[in-house]
Amino acid sequence: MSEIISRRNFLKLAGLGATAAVLTGCGPAARYVTRNPYYDMPEYTQTGLSTYFATTCRECPAGCGLIMRTFEGRAIKAEGNPAHPVNGGKLCSRGLTGVQGLYNPDRFKSAVQRPQRGDPAVEPVEWDAALQVVKDALNGPAGEVAFLLGLNQDHLADLVTQLAETIGAPAPLRYGALGMFEGRATLVKAAEQVFGQAVFPYFDIAGADLVVSFGANFLEAWLSPVAYSRAYGRFRRAEPLKKRGYLVSFEARRSLTSGSADEWYPVVPGSEGLLAAALGKLLSESSGFSAVMDYAAVDVQAACAAAGIEPEKLEALAQLIARAERPLFLPGGNALGHADGLAAAVNILALNAGRGNFGVPGGVYLTTSPAGTATLTDLRGLVDRMRTGQVSTLFIHGCNPVFELPPTLGFTQALANVKTVVSFASFPDETALQADYVLPDHTPLEGWGYQYTLAGVDRPVLSGAQPVVVPLYETRATADMLLSAGKLPYKDEVEFIQSVLEDKVGQPDANISGTDLPSLWAKYLQAGGWWLAAPSLSAPEKNFADGASTAQPQAAGSGQFHLMTYPTLFGDGSGANRPWLQETPDPATTVMWNSWVEINPKTAEELGLHDDDIVKVRSEAGEVEAVVYLYPAIRPDTVAIPFGQGHTALGRWAERRGCNPAELLKVTMNEAGDLAFGDTLVTITPTGKRRPIARAESRVGVYGDH
Amino acid sequence: MAEEQYPEKWGMVIDQDICTGCQACVTACSMENNIPFTGEEEVAYGRGMHWLRIQRYWEGEYPEVSPTHTPMMCQQCGHAPCEPVCPVFATVHSESESINLQVYNRCIGTRYCANNCPYIARSFNWFDYEVPAPMNYYLNPSVTVRRRGVMEKCTFCVQRIYAGQETAKKEGRALRDGDVVPACAQACPVDAIIFGDLTDPNSRVSQAARSERGYTQLEELGTAPRVTYLKGGGTYGG
Amino acid sequence: MAAETQSIPTVHPAAHDEEEDHRDQLMFDPRPREEMNHMVMDAMTHTTPRYWLAVGILGAIVAVCLFGMWGYMIATGMGLAGIRKPVYWGVFIVLLVFWIGISHAGTFVSAILRVFKAEFRRPFTRAAELMTTFGLAAGALYPLVHLGRVWVFYWMIPYPNARWLWPNFRSPLVWDFLAITTYLLSSTIYLFLPLIPDLAMARDRTTGWRHFIYKTLSLGWRGTEAEWFRLRKAISIFAVAIIPVMFSVHTIVSWDFAVAQTAAWNSTIFGPYFIIGAILSGVSAVVTILIILRSTMKHMDYFIRPEHIDALGKLLLVFSMAWGYFFFNDYMVSWYGGYEAVRQILTLHASGPSAWIWYCMLIFNIGIPWLTLWNKKIRRTPWAMFIITLLINVGMFFERYTIIPMTLGHQRMPFDWGEYSPRLPEISIGIGSLALFMLLYLLASRVIPLVPVWEVQEGQEAHSLRKVGKTTVPSVAELE
Repeated sequence: MSEIISRRNFLKLAGLGATAAVLTGCGPAARYVTRNPYYDMPEYTQTGLSTYFATTCRECPAGCGLIMRTFEGRAIKAEGNPAHPVNGGKLCSRGLTGVQGLYNPDRFKSAVQRPQRGDPAVEPVEWDAALQVVKDALNGPAGEVAFLLGLNQDHLADLVTQLAETIGAPAPLRYGALGMFEGRATLVKAAEQVFGQAVFPYFDIAGADLVVSFGANFLEAWLSPVAYSRAYGRFRRAEPLKKRGYLVSFEARRSLTSGSADEWYPVVPGSEGLLAAALGKLLSESSGFSAVMDYAAVDVQAACAAAGIEPEKLEALAQLIARAERPLFLPGGNALGHADGLAAAVNILALNAGRGNFGVPGGVYLTTSPAGTATLTDLRGLVDRMRTGQVSTLFIHGCNPVFELPPTLGFTQALANVKTVVSFASFPDETALQADYVLPDHTPLEGWGYQYTLAGVDRPVLSGAQPVVVPLYETRATADMLLSAGKLPYKDEVEFIQSVLEDKVGQPDANISGTDLPSLWAKYLQAGGWWLAAPSLSAPEKNFADGASTAQPQAAGSGQFHLMTYPTLFGDGSGANRPWLQETPDPATTVMWNSWVEINPKTAEELGLHDDDIVKVRSEAGEVEAVVYLYPAIRPDTVAIPFGQGHTALGRWAERRGCNPAELLKVTMNEAGDLAFGDTLVTITPTGKRRPIARAESRVGVYGDH
Repeated sequence: MAEEQYPEKWGMVIDQDICTGCQACVTACSMENNIPFTGEEEVAYGRGMHWLRIQRYWEGEYPEVSPTHTPMMCQQCGHAPCEPVCPVFATVHSESESINLQVYNRCIGTRYCANNCPYIARSFNWFDYEVPAPMNYYLNPSVTVRRRGVMEKCTFCVQRIYAGQETAKKEGRALRDGDVVPACAQACPVDAIIFGDLTDPNSRVSQAARSERGYTQLEELGTAPRVTYLKGGGTYGG
Repeated sequence: MAAETQSIPTVHPAAHDEEEDHRDQLMFDPRPREEMNHMVMDAMTHTTPRYWLAVGILGAIVAVCLFGMWGYMIATGMGLAGIRKPVYWGVFIVLLVFWIGISHAGTFVSAILRVFKAEFRRPFTRAAELMTTFGLAAGALYPLVHLGRVWVFYWMIPYPNARWLWPNFRSPLVWDFLAITTYLLSSTIYLFLPLIPDLAMARDRTTGWRHFIYKTLSLGWRGTEAEWFRLRKAISIFAVAIIPVMFSVHTIVSWDFAVAQTAAWNSTIFGPYFIIGAILSGVSAVVTILIILRSTMKHMDYFIRPEHIDALGKLLLVFSMAWGYFFFNDYMVSWYGGYEAVRQILTLHASGPSAWIWYCMLIFNIGIPWLTLWNKKIRRTPWAMFIITLLINVGMFFERYTIIPMTLGHQRMPFDWGEYSPRLPEISIGIGSLALFMLLYLLASRVIPLVPVWEVQEGQEAHSLRKVGKTTVPSVAELE
């Protein structure tokens, strides 16, 4: 041992102990946590050592497994759970910024009462009084209580469903903008028609060698983006004895997914189903394709003309598909959100059926869990009940209908006729602003729970969630609040969760096993959930024979341009209050901190528009002002506005940024009851104003003038 | 205590054929490395602090227009142009990790290194960026919070390299492939970023770096980057 | 010019004019030494309320615009300025190069003209040398102003420290630091040496605090033969020695850019190109200052005459042409190199959003001097020369602006290109440093004899007009 402590060794020594003390000294309160949390054990208090908790990301309904790094009682970094079957250690931008939700300074810090709806001023209310409101409502006339939940298929959804059943209230509605843009209900309905089961199909992208996406933006938002991105990574990578996967995309604009596609066809929005039928007809003339539908009435030429694609290209594609070993066809939300969206979904799923890729690698499987997502029609039912005064207490958790729903649905106006609106929101969002009581739930990283993951995984998963830090503020678990009325036989939230887990005791073939609940529970928390050890989804049966739909694309109303609206990193818009999500450039446009309207440069030239000009985008339903972004990869007859910005509430980072395209959407449904958001037509009028938007790309170099 | 020798040469391979440009790596990098967010005004003026950015270029004309995505960060050059120009040795080559380090405490903010970096990989702390409480709770204790006036850049998550080495040492074994994963590679949903030891010919990164699709950025400058890119594009079955 | 001893012995008007020129340049209207002493002392001690008003305003500008703004920027961060990614150097470095360039001509005019015995230099060497020192003082601020953490600037100095760390001698910034320091020291000494006899002169004619200062500074000068001998020796050694220092300092400043691998900076011609540019801007600044001195200070019209400005105007024309040559050389070699990044930068200089700066540079540095300085009448019109020299300096500012921020903004990765524009700190500190320069000069003009009386007298004694054939030519007696 030499006398001199080298710089390196000094750093190492310091790194073991001192750095932690020094660095955390910067944070004022972090070291002086006095409350003892449920999970607090002596070994967790070791200075300078990180503790990792397995939990579930509840930023979107996909249910990715998280390993949260915590340090001296603070959540530091979200990392993917490598053992989790959904995300396998990977994460998206949204999940990575989860801690910015947990530590968001705009959170509700205690239960509050709002004297005047719509007024940001609130008064703190004692929890006992607040709970009394919940108890009174649950003990009152059962028919007058309504629950509106987010898309997450989690313990709260189960508990509320049970509760509603017990007290005889209408079943909770689960709705969210993500589901709206995915056409979830349409997809499930189509699966019912084609496969005979109303469940989410699971698409094995990784096993396919050719994927044809009909407007499925599976790399950014569709169903389970991280799971499908992982699958895409394996699909694309050439390995010995494995071809490089080839991606073809039909979409009016080149989204992140279409951007990764080897072939991209900018088709007229709403013509996807027609193209699927045309493709089916072309394929049924080739070998290896046994049509499950009658394609006789399909006119390929007419379909191509309606979609704006050259028939030769479609024929070439059909030949490519015929040559492919395991082609897979994805029915994305952009194809489904039209008046004939259900028929489109059926046409696309029928292509999979025609190739017979059911239950084979690169094929379609059926998930097991029920997919009880509400449709917009269901929601309209609720709005009608609200408007007519049939709802006296509305409980809202995990969604922000005032922001997410098209205003023409009249949700906000209908709220006026609801006597008591109780929001469990953690953040002061637009809906909480209309609530009489805000009884903040713990944020996902502070609370217990589980989540069924449905759409993006090849096996049933009960993804576990546990608190990784002590609740920061005087918040309470919503489940505990609802249980406080004594309607259900559970002491608290954890007991309810354990009751669900009880079924799994002794079940073999799972990632964890336990002969009794406590041991299974401990392993469940450690592993981050329960799931089967091997893929175990069933293959659908072919039971379908019907004529292919040849409905023409129909856009409602009058206007110059088709409007495309698509979810971004912000998901259903609730991510807009995460500063690092705001500062993460949009993948396609590199815009940060704002929203924009994408216009093809050629169209813009005709309209005399330039980058950063503010235009009025007007539809039959409403109008918004948006900043022009010249997007070279969008149809000249289509404009696109991303969804998620344009908040009027939700805190300092979200408010007054960009526009909310929901205001442009007219309430027309497809046959499955989902919003036909893709049929919106808009006109563009320059305002003469300009507002430069922040973008990572240079304004000069990108278009290659120099 | 004798000076320990770590023979590893850390390197990275980015497969542009697989990269979708989803930006998860950008967010992961920022959250791991305590990178401050700067707000719309500042980021619009080119003051974003991202250590890693995805360059999105368009190729071709509509409808054959297609984007290319190039994740760009410090290339950990073997002959780094930033190093000789720093008057105070604030940007130096580390002997133990063979990577290019920025010593925040030593930096006096001449910004010469940033001018001389052909990859524009460096960010300068124009201000002290306040993270409003309690958001500062999530700051990573393994990474220094930088103050105004110093330069910063991608470190290949050097804190994770140290952690990996310490763990291996504690367990009395050599480092294994995959022990050290930087935040970007860890998050990358499509697994387009591969990180590892280039001296080990069997490591994933070495194998990938030998790909015939491999190239390095601005090869003509002779900077000997430690990051290899694999060209994108392909045909069915190719 | 002055040493021209053979002229064509014909009489024509031009020759006659030239003779007049020489008479005026060499001041063949000698006055008694004591009278000249008085004139200089008078100019030095004569202050009007206007003078104090000017000092007050400049002092206020320096305090607020320079030190106030700088202090605010230190406390807040460099982000107040307009620099951004990827233009990490902006107007601060432009002004550094600008001031160092200006400070060049003082030494150039004084040392080179002294070594080559250009006799017309005598009345204004002091004014030029002062410009060097104060220009350097203003310029040397900028390496500090532009530091992100100026409070640890001394880490650039090689001094023994507990960390056992030396500065990085491979870094051009360290060369810069050393070169500027060397130049500041040597030019100050070079200013001081010829000043000693004049300080002694002032010492003998003042009382009170001035007397004390001059007594201290004149180092007991009595004017003995031995003192004169040593002074002349020292001055001539220094005049020769400072020339390479002068050339090296701007070469080294140019290496800040030329050594980098930044596209369009890594040009081998940058050393001489920067020197020529520096001399062009510096000589222009000398002319500007001489014109100001002549019109604002008492008796200065005796010492500084249009003929001097005329002579400097000819020099300017030569240097403008030289600058044009080097500019063309740099441009053409860069272009011919065929490197795509450089080609884009050159294109954007002439067609990008800041192209007007590039065109102004060419007009001010080439167009205007080439069109005007041929004309003797213009050269002898002080107000015209004042405008022309000012424009040349604006043009030279634009030259550095083109080289630094306009080039940095468009490097090899078009995705990250960025436009730079200065913000309040750059403008404020820029104005503040100009005010500092003027303030120092203004204060010095009342403390330091602005005209080296002994040199003027020496010249007047040494020169005579000799008839050669039908014309008269000036001749110089060897003094040393």
